[in-house]
Amino acid sequence: MFLAKVIGSVWSSVKWPELGGMKLLLVRPYSLADLGGAPAAAAPTHDGVVCADVLGAGVGEDVIIAYGHAARVAVSELLPDGARPSVPIDAAVVAIVDRYAVTDASS
Amino acid sequence: MIRGRVVGEVWATRKAPGLAGRRLLLVGVEGEDRALVAIDTLDAREGEAVMVSVGSGARNVLEPGPDNRALLCDAAVSLIIDGEG
Repeated sequence: MFLAKVIGSVWSSVKWPELGGMKLLLVRPYSLADLGGAPAAAAPTHDGVVCADVLGAGVGEDVIIAYGHAARVAVSELLPDGARPSVPIDAAVVAIVDRYAVTDASS
Repeated sequence: MIRGRVVGEVWATRKAPGLAGRRLLLVGVEGEDRALVAIDTLDAREGEAVMVSVGSGARNVLEPGPDNRALLCDAAVSLIIDGEG
């Protein structure tokens, strides 16, 4: 997982059926250097990542993104026991951050 | 596994149910300008050197075995480094 800031959304009318109704966000991961500054001033600098969102995150919020199978689990937690996630995504919002604390990013 | 150092912690109220009760650490990746958010079950402290398991292997840190596919985990602290030579 990684920490990122929501910087926009992505929409599409031609897509895989399992993606119907799924909200897609554009997020920008925080680098270690970004986190070392004052949290309020830190601006993420890495390249953007498109991820699925079922939590309702908004632009400007900090979020935690999971990759791979964990991302599919996150958007599929209402599936019956034993069912395998079939949604074709590889990144998803798994938490909307209240706060984070960094004390030791320099060493 | 990825070697890193614990640099902080993250708190979230609104999250996927699979993350309920998990302690989330910010781990700076050794030699790179990036940070991971990893689930911690070992009570690692800020400043400690750790190894983080990523991907499917990370689920085995929380619950070893073949029936852990429903766990929401792609990164977990799997050991705290005491020393190396």
